[in-house]
Amino acid sequence: MLQFAGFWMAMVTFLGIWWGHVGVRWLEAHSPNIWPPIVVLALSGVALNGFSLFAPNLTLAGVSSILGITLMWDALEMYRQQQRVLKKHAPANPDNPRHAAYLAAGKAITEDLLDREPQGTPDVPSAPQRVEFCRATYERREVEA
Amino acid sequence: MSWEGIALGLFSLGIIGFGFFWVIRMEYYLGYLWWPYPMALGILFILVSFFIGNEGWSALLGITGGSFIWGATELKEQAVRAELGWFKYNPRRKPDPPGLRWIKKIKAPHL
Repeated sequence: MLQFAGFWMAMVTFLGIWWGHVGVRWLEAHSPNIWPPIVVLALSGVALNGFSLFAPNLTLAGVSSILGITLMWDALEMYRQQQRVLKKHAPANPDNPRHAAYLAAGKAITEDLLDREPQGTPDVPSAPQRVEFCRATYERREVEA
Repeated sequence: MSWEGIALGLFSLGIIGFGFFWVIRMEYYLGYLWWPYPMALGILFILVSFFIGNEGWSALLGITGGSFIWGATELKEQAVRAELGWFKYNPRRKPDPPGLRWIKKIKAPHL
């Protein structure tokens, strides 16, 4: 007989991480104030972990705890996502008043810098990186020749 | 009251943390084009978990498999982050993965 516990744990782990990436980005970009969703995520996480203590079987206990812990982590990620927007590592949403204020102050950008294919070269290499890159390119061409 | 569920939750937190570590290292030394290999490993873990009699061990294997599949989807974005200077960029030539011709035909997945 097949054992499905691992499958359900894999599903909830992947979906939890997926929500932690896609959902948190969306929620942060659309929340005028990040604290209400942070509180909801954290409390949902605590509740799910509380439920897992009394769940009738291991699969349900594991699924609810994994989901609970990822939601608690997402509460922290909401704050970190805001910091990414302020570091221009994530795009700001001009329709969100909080982000609009960052944009007006020149603290954020609307461009998603990660939305592209890797190019194979650094965009803005530092001086040591440039030296190392030139040396590695030279060595590679020597080997290829 | 049973703490096994919480233990599995904490294990998932640890394995996701380990995922950040290996994704950064793998992209740095091998490059993002190796993404099908951790993905295949993750799928393999999940398939094996179907045949583990013990529910707990099956669960641990499933969590590990799920996190490896996620890590595979993270490699491409990590390569872009390194190119943007947000992470250390490895200028040396990275080894080609086996089956590069086929891998290049598929767009690397990302979340």
